[in-house]
Amino acid sequence: MLAARPFHTVVSELQLPGEAQLRARERELVLAAQRGDREAFAGLVRLHERRAYAVARAITATHEDAEDAVQDGFLHAFRALDRFRPEQAFGAWLHRIVANAALDIGRRRKVRDSEALTESVSLPFRDPAEQDELRRRLTDGLALLSQRQRAVIVLHDVEGFTHGEIAGMLGIPEGTARSDLHHARASLRKQLSEFRSHP
Amino acid sequence: MTYEPRIGPDGRDDDLTRALRQIYAAPTEEGYWSTLAQRVMHRIAGAPEAESWWSPLADWARVGIVAAAVAVLVAGLAFTKSREAEARLAYDTIIETPRSAPLQIATEHGSGSVRDATLRYVISP
Repeated sequence: MLAARPFHTVVSELQLPGEAQLRARERELVLAAQRGDREAFAGLVRLHERRAYAVARAITATHEDAEDAVQDGFLHAFRALDRFRPEQAFGAWLHRIVANAALDIGRRRKVRDSEALTESVSLPFRDPAEQDELRRRLTDGLALLSQRQRAVIVLHDVEGFTHGEIAGMLGIPEGTARSDLHHARASLRKQLSEFRSHP
Repeated sequence: MTYEPRIGPDGRDDDLTRALRQIYAAPTEEGYWSTLAQRVMHRIAGAPEAESWWSPLADWARVGIVAAAVAVLVAGLAFTKSREAEARLAYDTIIETPRSAPLQIATEHGSGSVRDATLRYVISP
């Protein structure tokens, strides 16, 4: 019976128990946290902090802002925990809160000029030495995009979120997310193609 | 050098995606994530409890209840005083008015004899 089914179906079924266990564990943590168990909430933080950071980093201009957005997001989530319905997906709910926190930080930082933004986007926090031309062009191109277009392309192409998920996080229609992705790709591709044609 | 971008069926440019992943790479050290989780929990522990939306209303409600109670008390006292004054006036009117009028009539018609005056007083309404 097992051998008769396509390989990818079998693989996905084999992966299901792990995912189901993870869901069950997450649900236990959520229910315990809703009863006031802070250790349980710490478990949720450890479970979701990487993905929350990825969401925040896609929206904010710097690593430091992303860290702040993650902390703000978890704090808001903790305070709003009694309004979370356990049958919902905790990750999607949390990502929306973190995205809002990141957008808030972005709005507060809006006073920065474009030069400062270019600099902040182009400086990776771990590897400042790596400054190849392609990368420089790309970071320049990123600075030319709107905050929302930048967030959409990173969330979709780098983090693998769907258009629906991105629309939910950023509070925009799905069509707008698609359109932003199209424009962001075209703009960055133009930036790169010029470099590729003229080394 | 001329470069032809390799674009996948979903419109994704491989080189572009790779470069973006480098720029937006998340920290990989486990220590970083445990520290971040600790910072989050520390922030939660240090933050004051969020006020519910009805908390300010509850404070106002307390003040409102006290003010309403005082207003009811003052209105009650004023009403009682007013009723007492009305009752006293009515009593005075009943007691005093009928006696004074005949006396006045009697004096007005004081030109006749005492006997006539007494008679007028007795038959007066």
